[in-house]
Amino acid sequence: MTEDARATTVLLVGAMMVRLALTGAYAKYVRTGMGGVLLVAGALLVALGLVGVARALGLVRRRADAHGDAHAQADAHGHGDERGPGHADGHGHAHGDRAGWLLLGPVLALLLVTPPALGSFGVGRSAAVDVRSGGRTFDPLPAGRTASMTLLEFDERAADHAGASFGATPVRLTGFVTPGNDRAGFRIARYQIACCAADAVAAVVRVTGTTGNTPARDQWVTVTGTFQRSADGVPELRATSLAEITAPRDPYE
Amino acid sequence: MPPVPTPASSPEAPPADDAAASGRRPRGAGLPLVTALIVAAVALRPVLTGLFGHPAVANWATVFVAITIQALPFLVLGVAVSASIAAFVPPGLIARLLPKRPALAVPAAAAAGAALPGCECGSVPVAARLVSIGVTPAAAFAFLLSAPAINPVVLVSTAVAFPGRPAMVLARFLASLAASVVMGLLWIALGRDDLIKPRRSDHTEEGPRLAVFLATAQHDLLQAGGFLVIGAGTAATLQTLVPRSIVDSVAGTGPLSLLVLGVLAVVVALCSEADAFVAAGLKQFSLTARLAFLVVGPMVDVKLFALQAGTFGTRFAWRFSLATFAVAVACAGLVGWWLL
Repeated sequence: MTEDARATTVLLVGAMMVRLALTGAYAKYVRTGMGGVLLVAGALLVALGLVGVARALGLVRRRADAHGDAHAQADAHGHGDERGPGHADGHGHAHGDRAGWLLLGPVLALLLVTPPALGSFGVGRSAAVDVRSGGRTFDPLPAGRTASMTLLEFDERAADHAGASFGATPVRLTGFVTPGNDRAGFRIARYQIACCAADAVAAVVRVTGTTGNTPARDQWVTVTGTFQRSADGVPELRATSLAEITAPRDPYE
Repeated sequence: MPPVPTPASSPEAPPADDAAASGRRPRGAGLPLVTALIVAAVALRPVLTGLFGHPAVANWATVFVAITIQALPFLVLGVAVSASIAAFVPPGLIARLLPKRPALAVPAAAAAGAALPGCECGSVPVAARLVSIGVTPAAAFAFLLSAPAINPVVLVSTAVAFPGRPAMVLARFLASLAASVVMGLLWIALGRDDLIKPRRSDHTEEGPRLAVFLATAQHDLLQAGGFLVIGAGTAATLQTLVPRSIVDSVAGTGPLSLLVLGVLAVVVALCSEADAFVAAGLKQFSLTARLAFLVVGPMVDVKLFALQAGTFGTRFAWRFSLATFAVAVACAGLVGWWLL
């Protein structure tokens, strides 16, 4: 990579990170707590890239040229027999950072199309949440008002003494519709992520008792209802109300 | 996205400089090339958008972007440390601080790994820098392997993921440290330093320090970042093609389960700060098998392999990763049998 290409790439990567952090779009890919870290790291890269661009354009006294050539020479004589298959740094005049071009891949992908948050495709394919063994125990829900909870908590409460902690308290859940072959009702799911979408694990709940058409696959819904024991182990909510919503800002729990 | 138009709006600017200044590399080829790439990508936008209608493609893209985004801050941290060592630490100081005998330098370097609070992507550029400033490779590799596994952030997240099981934290610490030291000692006994691709960055003494810092940071970031992209793509492909639920069909105990979870750790390429939460969820497996997942993950995985191959060379990365996998599984098995 030439000096200006390197600087531009660093600048673009930094700008992408800053933009993801500021728009909140990063929540589709990593856990929400990482926004600040992304912003700081992105800002550092923007600064590094700007200095590099200024230097490449000749706006700043150029001291880096000597380095550039020192690199090139060391490269030329160092690489003779070390040419790994499939790697981009085999040529004497390269900086050994030709792989840096690849960083433009995610940048372009994010500039042009925003990959969606994980959807129903992976629900059956990820390792399922296993709440049966060594699960938590819960205090009973306070009676009277509707309790909002994550799908994971719903599943864990369902596994704890066959859902005794629910009582008759109504529960509100938010998730997206995912396919399942149920005789009645449909399933909703939501992923938990610990760090990024690569480690997502889905919690699944079956919703019964709704009238009308089942919402389309991957449609986000909020359902309110009461816990109901099911025969096959999939925790079940008997819904009293169902609303289709737009995807929440943080699609994961 | 205010900075984005920069390359597009000023493609003519750089040729003002004479190409002779940089010898064979024509100055100014970079910005037009970047611009052309962006224009081509914009033209292809409808095609890309159409592809995302396919759930598998969308899933791949999401996981690919997620791994890259998640790793970049840690990469920035690692690159900053690496560039600081290159620019501000007197040459030879770190080598002098470590014990003279390699057999003692290895455990010292492995223990020093506890001081780098990051995940595995950040430790590769730092370890490469250590090699290039003259630290014995065995010690640098011990650091490379231990840093992502035994630093406080990772240990705390392990404790949070396994509440009420402090033995798991201790076991992870001991098994990871042991595996790092064993690999360092193995390198002294069997390793050949000619397997390591020489680096071209032994320019620590020239130029003003800030310029060295900036040039090194840029270089290390692009090199490691490029290979990170390869690794993230590989991991996303494997995750999309191979359902993770496949591990549910494997028996939960016995030596086979250690291997299965070890391989799973290699394939899914999780951040070492998050893998404990995934391990905690794999309840159908024994604690020892899950320990193998936690010990192998920060040391060997597909994205780390790409980073190592890019930094130290492919010939090195194959041998090193296979040996590390075997040592890590063995250490996890022994420590798990003892403690868990």
